[in-house]
Amino acid sequence: MSIRVGKAAPDFAAQAYWRGEIKEVRLSDYRGKWVLIFFYPADFTFV
Amino acid sequence: MAAVAVKYPAFQELGVEVLAVSVDDVATHKDWQEKELSKMVKGGALYPMISDEGGKIGTLYGVYDEEKKVDLRGRFLIDPDGVVQSAEIVSAPVGRDVSEVLRQVRAFQHHRKTGELMPCGWQPGKPTLPPEKESSNLSGKVWETWRPRNAF
Repeated sequence: MSIRVGKAAPDFAAQAYWRGEIKEVRLSDYRGKWVLIFFYPADFTFV
Repeated sequence: MAAVAVKYPAFQELGVEVLAVSVDDVATHKDWQEKELSKMVKGGALYPMISDEGGKIGTLYGVYDEEKKVDLRGRFLIDPDGVVQSAEIVSAPVGRDVSEVLRQVRAFQHHRKTGELMPCGWQPGKPTLPPEKESSNLSGKVWETWRPRNAF
């Protein structure tokens, strides 16, 4: 696992669906804000 | 997902940006939002639903299951400096607790603002401990200001 608390969060950029649009999301664009990233296995499941 | 969508206003009030990530493509995210999430929760998921095709992001965060080709239930709280402050990974059969995430956000934000230390089970209004540099003389005296019942 390449991640640890107290260490920098790995940056990434990817396509996202957001409020009717497709846009690119880059984690480093959120610098200065608290961010909650949550992963889940699949759409159309109850998670 | 639906539970986070319900609590999204609480995250917004705390100034927390939410990013949901799965290996589904954006078309499937759109479908799920339109056909189901928006019917379960008013507005559905109002935060970005990221497509992690190939599990690249999941691999970076140590949550990608290469056999099942999905991202496991990982949750990471990142502070305004881009530093991971809290991480949780839960295996498939059991769901998570959004209220615990909100509790941790409030505790980390309180600590960041005041330097105070946030004991076990802290909730707003419960006692805290003094900042690290003052708490060295707390050794053996925590019982004077904090009791285990405060954890519940």
